[in-house]
Amino acid sequence: MMNDQSVRLDRMRFTKNTMSSRLVLLAIVFDAIYFVSLYKINVDFYYNMMMGASILYNLVFMLAAFLASEGVKNYRQNFSWVLCLLGAIQIARIFIWPVQAHQTTVTVAGTQLLAMSNGQFVRSVIYLVASAACLFVAAVVNFTKSRALKAHIAGLEGQKA
Amino acid sequence: MAQLSLQHIDKIYDNNVQAVYDFNIDISDGELIVLVGPSGCGKSTTLRMVAGLEDISRGNLLLDGRDITRAPAKDRDMAMVFQNYALYGHMTIYENMAFSLMLRKEDPNVIHKKVLAAADILGLTTQLNKKPSQLSGGQRQRVAMGRSIVRNPKVFLFDEPLSNLDAKLRGATRREILLLHKRLNATMMYVTHDQTEALTLADRIVCMSMGHVQQIGTPLELYDSPNNTFVAGFIGLPPMNFFDVTFENGVLHGKGFDVQLSDAEKATLADYNRKAITLGVRPEDIVEGGDLPVKVFSNENLGMNTLVHGHTGDNIRVTAKLRGWTDYKNGDTVKLGFKRKHFFDKETTNAIRKGDR
Repeated sequence: MMNDQSVRLDRMRFTKNTMSSRLVLLAIVFDAIYFVSLYKINVDFYYNMMMGASILYNLVFMLAAFLASEGVKNYRQNFSWVLCLLGAIQIARIFIWPVQAHQTTVTVAGTQLLAMSNGQFVRSVIYLVASAACLFVAAVVNFTKSRALKAHIAGLEGQKA
Repeated sequence: MAQLSLQHIDKIYDNNVQAVYDFNIDISDGELIVLVGPSGCGKSTTLRMVAGLEDISRGNLLLDGRDITRAPAKDRDMAMVFQNYALYGHMTIYENMAFSLMLRKEDPNVIHKKVLAAADILGLTTQLNKKPSQLSGGQRQRVAMGRSIVRNPKVFLFDEPLSNLDAKLRGATRREILLLHKRLNATMMYVTHDQTEALTLADRIVCMSMGHVQQIGTPLELYDSPNNTFVAGFIGLPPMNFFDVTFENGVLHGKGFDVQLSDAEKATLADYNRKAITLGVRPEDIVEGGDLPVKVFSNENLGMNTLVHGHTGDNIRVTAKLRGWTDYKNGDTVKLGFKRKHFFDKETTNAIRKGDR
């Protein structure tokens, strides 16, 4: 007779890891909001290479994160490392484009202005941190669950043998 | 489980077409009732009325003494298995089986136990992570049954569940349904147009035609003592042979043949002297060496038996199921005799039994 803990583990053989998968999708949503907000800067004529690169990376990120969400849905342990890497990059990105734009001043009609206002900088950082947090949590949840499932299946196979 | 009672059930559609007339039956707990009849006879309509998918125009439907005539389908505690399986293609087998319980917001651990138990009964344990498209027709039908089992309903309803399967799979799945019934001891109603399914599965058969119940009885009763020519012709494969004959002084006179009757048969027909009646003989009750000359037009060897098809002198078609291997050629004349005979009133088509009049 299985106890509740065993049943919970056994259920994972037939159900998806929707929690991790949904967290990754949420991370994509936060990234998309950040991505859209990039276009709203104080002045119309500030642009540098890093901004273009950031936009390009967003596309790569969304694709990679979506594939990882499908991977973790099926308890594939290696995708936890992919999620950790993506999360780390999200954090690192804060120090490239938003910080750079926030520290840059442009002269408009003789007045010096910050390319990215304080408010927008804070919001951008929050979006990226939230996105990274979702990825890290999803990675940890997937890692824990997939390890437990692996041990459970090994136990079942041991019983059969 | 449950007792089901259908009392004077009628079904009249909005266009005034009546599909079912005065349907009455009391189904005992754990009984498997098979509704059988040709297409359009009202058997599926009856089942759908029981399930709550069709309104009942007149009459009462009782489940364990409780009137559920007007109760919505969801409150009837019945599970229905459809001919086309009705599985969700995007869900796994596990999810398909668990779906109805998830909608009821049951504890996931309880759902898991129920699904595994049902899968074990149906031999689907290794298929739970697959999608319906990856399964064979028989396996899909078992999933549909599993979806019913997990709900633990009071009554199981089957609407021609084997019609989409090939002959071999149909036989195997039919045996599985029979085992399932024995294992669950559940009250079941099963609709089919296939008499083999009816005869092999049923505790009792309801034979229907044109919306009317023709006979209710055990498979043996319907086969051995059909109420009328419809039941006699519908139950049994190949169907019963019918001859127009006249009973006169202990002898049946047909066109081109006479049949001597036993004392018991004469007593049965005592009230029909010099009257025209219908003689029914099952193909398996026909033997070689009798008074009826038949011109053979087809000889089908089935191994243990041979089906010999021919015409009498009056051009009435006769099919005989002869034991062993025979090799009649087209045009051969064979003399046949009758063992067991059935008699029917020519006007009413009802069976003539001793003491009927």
